[in-house]
Amino acid sequence: AAEPWPENAALYQQLKEEQILLSDNASSLAVQAFLQMCNLPIQVVCRANAEYMSPSGKVPFIHVGNQVVSELGPIVQFVKAKGHSLSDGLDEVQKAEMKAYMELVNNMLLTAELYLQWCDDVTVEEITHPRYGSPYPWPLNRILSYQKQWEVRRKMKAIGWAGKTLEQVLEDVDQCCQALSQRLGTQPYFFNKQPTELDALVFGHLFTILTTQLTTDELSEKVKNYSNLTAFCRRIEQQYFEGHDKDSSATVAARSAKRSLLR
Amino acid sequence: MAAPMELSCWGGDWGLPSLHPESLTVMAYAKFSGAPLAVNTISNSWRAPKGDVPVLISEDIVISQPAKILNFLRKQKYNADYELSAKQGADTLAYIALLEEKLLPALLHTFWVESENYCSVTKPWFASRIPFPLSLYLPGKMSREALNRILLTRGGPPPYSLIEVEAQIYRDAKECLNLLSKRLGTSQFFFGHTPTTLDAFVFGFLAPIYKVCFPRVQLQEHLKQLPNLCRFCDDILTCYFRLTVSGHSPAGQDTADANLQKLTQLVNKESNLIEKV
Repeated sequence: AAEPWPENAALYQQLKEEQILLSDNASSLAVQAFLQMCNLPIQVVCRANAEYMSPSGKVPFIHVGNQVVSELGPIVQFVKAKGHSLSDGLDEVQKAEMKAYMELVNNMLLTAELYLQWCDDVTVEEITHPRYGSPYPWPLNRILSYQKQWEVRRKMKAIGWAGKTLEQVLEDVDQCCQALSQRLGTQPYFFNKQPTELDALVFGHLFTILTTQLTTDELSEKVKNYSNLTAFCRRIEQQYFEGHDKDSSATVAARSAKRSLLR
Repeated sequence: MAAPMELSCWGGDWGLPSLHPESLTVMAYAKFSGAPLAVNTISNSWRAPKGDVPVLISEDIVISQPAKILNFLRKQKYNADYELSAKQGADTLAYIALLEEKLLPALLHTFWVESENYCSVTKPWFASRIPFPLSLYLPGKMSREALNRILLTRGGPPPYSLIEVEAQIYRDAKECLNLLSKRLGTSQFFFGHTPTTLDAFVFGFLAPIYKVCFPRVQLQEHLKQLPNLCRFCDDILTCYFRLTVSGHSPAGQDTADANLQKLTQLVNKESNLIEKV
């Protein structure tokens, strides 16, 4: 029989106020939302070297018992093995749809966030470089952020996004939001009454985009165009993140992010 | 009348109009939407392919990626998605993302990275269609690009290692095939009775896996266990690509296709029987 969920389960991410970037914040919030929806308690622990501690190199990762699992997909599988699942009530076709929409978010929204953070020169200079290496002394901070930038740009080139302009990327974000908005329609969640991991993932990304201040507002404007998406984010925030005393990470993240991220 | 449009892409074999998934997607979409495309397959006599393939040339406009080509065709009023609802349009985007994230890595691996497949099938085939001396360089470059793409998108932290990734990408691809099969169910196409953009993309990705004869075929074997997807590919091949190309008379092509279909069905039945034993 699987072990029950321990009390001291922890989620590791980078430092909230000074270091974490848009895409990592979105991924972390998605996992936190998912665990809240499953009613599994988790403590958020911020470490400057979270990325290096993670088994796959990506944040967030959770430390449960003596196991370490990173990224939303494997975490969902892990939680399912422990007996908690949000998507059991879906039939096969709906499960296929849910997985397809999750890939859409990863393919378009996450890639667009990475592009904006690491390939748009203005954002890189003013926000990413100062934040990414901030816990470390010079010259380590510059070296680490240049290294990461090189990695991300290589990836963008391999998937064909290096040739895109910022306008084209924002167009793609708009297309993705339009698809999500049309799929959501007037329902409270993507699969009507009950939230699933898709709702957690979409919430994580959209909420972070809406509440993070960047050099321009163009990205959040794209999301704000769709009122059912903003209502969706507000609904999940109210239901799963407010009213928890400490560690309401979404509200803390929102408050800290609303302050300017520009140095 | 729209200006004449010309599509330059990789040619076909094993009963397919093209081996290249992106070329196949564009050709299928053109057939579905009724766009009059003159298809030029790249062969030794054609000028060397530079940049991306497939490429659509219409008067002075040159467009290269499948998504952009399809957009262009839609603007020219060749729209296969006319009858789709907004939600179905959204589903299309989502499923295409699923194909690109989960199926494409394994497809690239089967064609370009798996060494037996690459050396005995892919490299000779592509090299024979590229003029010398590019034939010595271009297939290798395509192989390195495929490996790069797989490692950068699915690999763990650097230094990237292929072995850990291989098992995962094939697992993901098989899961993706299962999901597609469940979504298709018993209908003829993904959204009812008429084929749409999604059908073009799925066909483009599945048909090469289904038809090309490789020495290492784990993905093909998995696909053959999903009869509705096989039927989907065969239907599109017989209905929309009957009049393909390369010097065969339509009647000849018809009987060839019909024979191929019968043979495939027999082989499938045989393999099913053998598995049951």
